[in-house]
Amino acid sequence: MFQTIVPLFVDALANAALIFFVAFGLTLVFSVLRILNVAHGSFYSIGAYVSASIGLWIVSAGLNPWLTFPALLVSAALVAALFGPLIERTLVQWTYGRGEAVQILMTFGLFLILEDLQRLVFGVSSYYEDTPVALLGSIEIGGIIYLNYQLLLIALAVVALVAMRVFIGHTRMGRLLAVVVADREISEALGIDTRRMFTIAFTLGIFLAALGGALATPTAGVAPGLGADTMVLAFAVAAIGGLGQVEGAALAAVIVAAARVLAIYLFPALDAVAPYLVMLIVLLVRPYGLFGKPAIRRI
Amino acid sequence: MPKPKFRLAMTAAAAAALMTGAGWAQDKPARLDLGVFTFLSGPSAAYGLPGKQGAELMIERINAQGGIGGVPVSATYVDEAQGAEGVIAEYRRLAEGGRAQAMIAALSSGNCLALSPLADQLKMPTIGWNCDTHQLFLKDQPDYFYRPNGNTIAEFMAYTLYFLQQHPEVKRVAIINPDYAFGHDAAEIVKATLKAVRPEVEIVAELYPKLGASTYQTEISRLSAARPDVVFSNLWGGDLENFVRQAGPRGLFRQSAVVLALGETVMQRVDLPEGTIVGVLGDGWWMSPDARTIGEAEPFAAAYREKYGSDPVFPTIKMANSLIVLKAAYEKAISDNDGAWPDREQVVAALEGLSVQTLTGTTTFRDDNDGVVDQVIGTVGRAEGVDRPVMTGMVRYDGEALLAPVGQDPIAWIGTLTPDFLADLPRPGSYN
Amino acid sequence: MRKPIPLLVAALALLLLVPVAFPHLKFVITLAVAKGFAALGVALLLRGGLISLGHAMYFAIGAYATAFLGSKAGVSDLVLLLVASTAVAALAGLVFGAFLVRYRAIFFAMLNLAVSMVIFALTSKLYGITGGTDGLRVAVPTVLGWAPGKAAFDGFLFYLCILLMVVLGWLVHRYLQSPLGHALSAIHTNEVRLEYLGVSAWQTLLTSYTISAALAGLGGALAAMSIGHVLPEFAFWTESGHLVLTAVLGGIGGVAGAFIGSVFLEILHTVAVGVAAEAWNLIIGLALICVIFFLPRGIYGLIEARRGSTKETGL
Repeated sequence: MFQTIVPLFVDALANAALIFFVAFGLTLVFSVLRILNVAHGSFYSIGAYVSASIGLWIVSAGLNPWLTFPALLVSAALVAALFGPLIERTLVQWTYGRGEAVQILMTFGLFLILEDLQRLVFGVSSYYEDTPVALLGSIEIGGIIYLNYQLLLIALAVVALVAMRVFIGHTRMGRLLAVVVADREISEALGIDTRRMFTIAFTLGIFLAALGGALATPTAGVAPGLGADTMVLAFAVAAIGGLGQVEGAALAAVIVAAARVLAIYLFPALDAVAPYLVMLIVLLVRPYGLFGKPAIRRI
Repeated sequence: MPKPKFRLAMTAAAAAALMTGAGWAQDKPARLDLGVFTFLSGPSAAYGLPGKQGAELMIERINAQGGIGGVPVSATYVDEAQGAEGVIAEYRRLAEGGRAQAMIAALSSGNCLALSPLADQLKMPTIGWNCDTHQLFLKDQPDYFYRPNGNTIAEFMAYTLYFLQQHPEVKRVAIINPDYAFGHDAAEIVKATLKAVRPEVEIVAELYPKLGASTYQTEISRLSAARPDVVFSNLWGGDLENFVRQAGPRGLFRQSAVVLALGETVMQRVDLPEGTIVGVLGDGWWMSPDARTIGEAEPFAAAYREKYGSDPVFPTIKMANSLIVLKAAYEKAISDNDGAWPDREQVVAALEGLSVQTLTGTTTFRDDNDGVVDQVIGTVGRAEGVDRPVMTGMVRYDGEALLAPVGQDPIAWIGTLTPDFLADLPRPGSYN
Repeated sequence: MRKPIPLLVAALALLLLVPVAFPHLKFVITLAVAKGFAALGVALLLRGGLISLGHAMYFAIGAYATAFLGSKAGVSDLVLLLVASTAVAALAGLVFGAFLVRYRAIFFAMLNLAVSMVIFALTSKLYGITGGTDGLRVAVPTVLGWAPGKAAFDGFLFYLCILLMVVLGWLVHRYLQSPLGHALSAIHTNEVRLEYLGVSAWQTLLTSYTISAALAGLGGALAAMSIGHVLPEFAFWTESGHLVLTAVLGGIGGVAGAFIGSVFLEILHTVAVGVAAEAWNLIIGLALICVIFFLPRGIYGLIEARRGSTKETGL
């Protein structure tokens, strides 16, 4: 019993940690800006490409291999700083108040552009950079060898979740964000610079997507098409949790991951279907997600 | 911009050249245009690109020797990573736009299944340079589609027989293959072969991750949990590299014997542990004894190294061999046509039953358009004087012996084999 | 509102000449018109203010229906295949729609995406039934007893597509002018007021949703016959995105917009291939953003504006 349950559990959590960051970013952007960013997955793959490139450079330049760890974080920050304010201030800002069709189309256009930009910048062959995995070594749990890096990822996901709680509940900036989420008009009346809040939230969302991609690189290859695949998975997690619900995204990440892991263990023929099947079942019962609230119809 | 008078003179000269040329070869084109289909982007490009490079180099070499029947060859390369819809559209664009007289298509079994009816509909001679699925010629018999490099039946029977010879004590086998025709076919053949010659072997896991999956961590856990004696996989390209890199640190190669059917393609790029069983899906091992006897693979490999900075891998050889077959077909058609340039029907007629010496052996077309080639398999190990791992303990199985007779259901045919079949085969290490 | 009829007739006449003038464009245009049907379905919903990020699934359902009926049920007649495949897609639209049209805005977009991803995942994973990622072959159908070769069939299919485009385009146009069609636009403007008038928004939307699914399904069936192969990618979410893109690029102000957008894109793709194959997505992504910024009523809006119409039917 122990022999089969424990690996299932570890695998589910390791998988959940991998998709949590990107789904977290998607749901955060939605909660503040009320925009479903269709290009969100592209920032995941850009983060992955950048971190793999920096990692490969560190190794080839003969620098201390432990530098690849901070490089993961730095590359995500780099991507966020480069794209966040730029895209929010130009494309996204223009769509505020213009209806969701325009917002989805605008970000879909952005998705198409970013897909080709990645090909042009990073080429079309796969990247693989696993120095962090090699440095941390492995551990045997329940008779199966896991990577210590996978356990680190699980811990990091928990830390990110707690940090976000602390940020929202106990810092000035976080509280302002919470006010903007709760009521946009009132917060503007109170004199909060909502435009600045939007830029911050959007950039933070991109940072989380890029971080998700960067953290995934040591255990996965990076190749064209990664962004489109990640987008729908992140979307499934965010939708199950309830768009805009951070805790919901965390729980949903575990549910989706558990569904996929269970499928691989028990019905391998259905592995890729499992996340979406779970999503459909949840949404049939609770169309606004596990933690979501129905939207109010405007008159 | 040339002056009008000069232009007129040029036109006249061209017309004169055409008229004098008309006497000895009426339709001889200025160029033989080929459409070459392979993966040029994405994870699969790790396998597709060496194929493309093989085509570039082989075409260069053919043209250096005067082309095919005096006509220089040129190629348009199409990326299969765009999916079958795009591949079909490109094939049609090239064929109907008159931009290709023959096709070398395709790499992916899925794409060959999609293209083979089209070859007949558009009357386009097509050489399936790499796709292996035995389903291709099972149901219908296209006239214009030929495959010189053999099919999955011989290939995966060979692997199964080889690992049974190497590890006679095997009881538990796990399979992890890509989720499309090639992966499913291989699994079916491995299972059928085991059932026929070693029925007590149990299949303890069967996984089909999607082609191009970037991470295999959960699959690796599942494989480890199943405790197999042998892990069989025909993952390929970037997928295979990812899998090897991820499975290594997690101890899969220590726990089980691993068969990587397309392992030879990544030996130069990742560290394959010694003892891993690898092969070339056919006879395309450029350093094999037969290749050395023929003597053309070595200079080809040297030119390849010079041009691309690494040794060729078997997709390179498969591509080169396919071009050799196409060249032979054209030359036969030209001589059958009393030296005049052949039309497409004549080229296809020349392919019928053709037998060609390639860089690494011989391929002979059967009645169902499938080429019969031998199967070379080995184990990763060390050889004296080579600073990187090579194939050791090699065997070369006779290709004919591992194929069902034309017209018979191959899986049912495998079912008729007995354990004696295994005993009568050449032993690993017998091919040096 | 004055309609740019003469221009459209001229464009149609040009299209009819394609097989004669540019034989290899015949396939491209057939496919463009087939996808145009799906884009028209998406445009229909956009008029009601609903954006579907999953409509490629009905295109895929229509295509797979054709493949299944041909290979498993032995149906080979073109008319039967088209009618049955469209009916299957319409039925799927009715069933999913009954649930989906209760939602608006982002949730409608999202739930459509969710359903389409299940369809995509199922078609790609059920190897034994759907052929997995290899897809299924589609044989050349017969036409009321006539069994043409592929070349003859391609020519026939081209003209059939044009004919269907004109006939169905006109029917959809009529539908939009009917009370039901006006109710659809009213949902976009003010749904609650519509319900106060005693019109059920759910019924209005479900009708449009089913029609849009049927149109996409017909497009899928036509595409399946033209390509000769069906694939799970037909249902992938980026395909759905492209359908919305096509509809918006063409302009949702009139029925012709969807087809204009589709033909324009496919021809541009054919011309641009080789020149800008590497940056094709980049080009259409930029084009899309430009259209949103500067041309909210799409190419069709451009034609209309020249004719002096000022009616605002953009996004």
